[in-house]
Amino acid sequence: MKRILIIALLSLLTTSSVSIADTVEEQILDIKTREIAKTLRCAVCQTESVWESNAELARQMRQVIRERLAQGQSAEEIRNYFLSRYGDYILLEPRKSGMNWLLWVGPFVLLGIGGVLLYRTLGRWVAQTALIKPEETLPIDALHRQRIEQELRSLEK
Amino acid sequence: MIRAWHIALLLGVVGLLTLFYKGLWGDPRAIPTVLVGTPAPTFSGPEVNTGEIISLNHFSGKVVVMNFWASWCFECQQEHENLLAINRRFGSDPNFVMLGINYQDREEDARNYLKVYGNNFNHVRDLKGTISIDFGVYGVPETFVLDQQGIIRYKQVGPIIGPVYTHLTEKVIQPLLQGPLPQAL
Repeated sequence: MKRILIIALLSLLTTSSVSIADTVEEQILDIKTREIAKTLRCAVCQTESVWESNAELARQMRQVIRERLAQGQSAEEIRNYFLSRYGDYILLEPRKSGMNWLLWVGPFVLLGIGGVLLYRTLGRWVAQTALIKPEETLPIDALHRQRIEQELRSLEK
Repeated sequence: MIRAWHIALLLGVVGLLTLFYKGLWGDPRAIPTVLVGTPAPTFSGPEVNTGEIISLNHFSGKVVVMNFWASWCFECQQEHENLLAINRRFGSDPNFVMLGINYQDREEDARNYLKVYGNNFNHVRDLKGTISIDFGVYGVPETFVLDQQGIIRYKQVGPIIGPVYTHLTEKVIQPLLQGPLPQAL
């Protein structure tokens, strides 16, 4: 009787540990699928990633990612597979190679050129409108001086 | 020095405007194909009406026209008569095969569609979407032409109607069946 109980307990423990291991493995697969799917563009909805999209094609792509992960392929291999089918378009973040460098560097180059142009233009404006020295100002005539003094006196009262 | 700056700036602005202008035209949803000139991925799947397993390997050494379609697709209905006409014209050639790939569809709907619109070639069901993804398909209809070496030589996104039909039959299928293979289709 005792032996039967021990065997039952051991088989129960073995079964539950196998199912826990399966669940953990499934969760790891889900996490990896999400990581890859988030970097791929949904081909039919454009602004969404394969992970976010509810389109049928995106759902099928997620399934393909999952199956390939289960077969032991790396994230890079899976991304390369989609790249070989759909081209650069499928990547939400363009690759840093070839003409794509223009996309990465272009905005900063344009910002730099704009900054230099702005700096030069502002410098020219400042040079053209130099500060007026006090001795270059016109003297106040007697009538205005009298008026100012009158105003000041009225303020002091 | 200033003049050189101004010319460079002007050229830059003109370049950007040209790119912007070009971007306004064409189909913004079109994805440039990367598969033309590469070997076609192999696949197998059940035939829509008979359930018989059909594999691309069965057709090695033949010119294969593959058409991705669905019963819910309006443009597929528009081109269907032309697809039947292509198979009527070239189907008797032992080096020619026409295959339909049923995409994101229900089996019953696909069968009804073929009953209503007619059928004279085999159609493979893409059960899990893997055939479509392997061929970089993102909508229907899409049509591929494979040469006798199994290389994808032509891809058409959209219906085979009007000038597209003429180009496909006269400039793509006919020359591929006659050989030697033209370099650009």
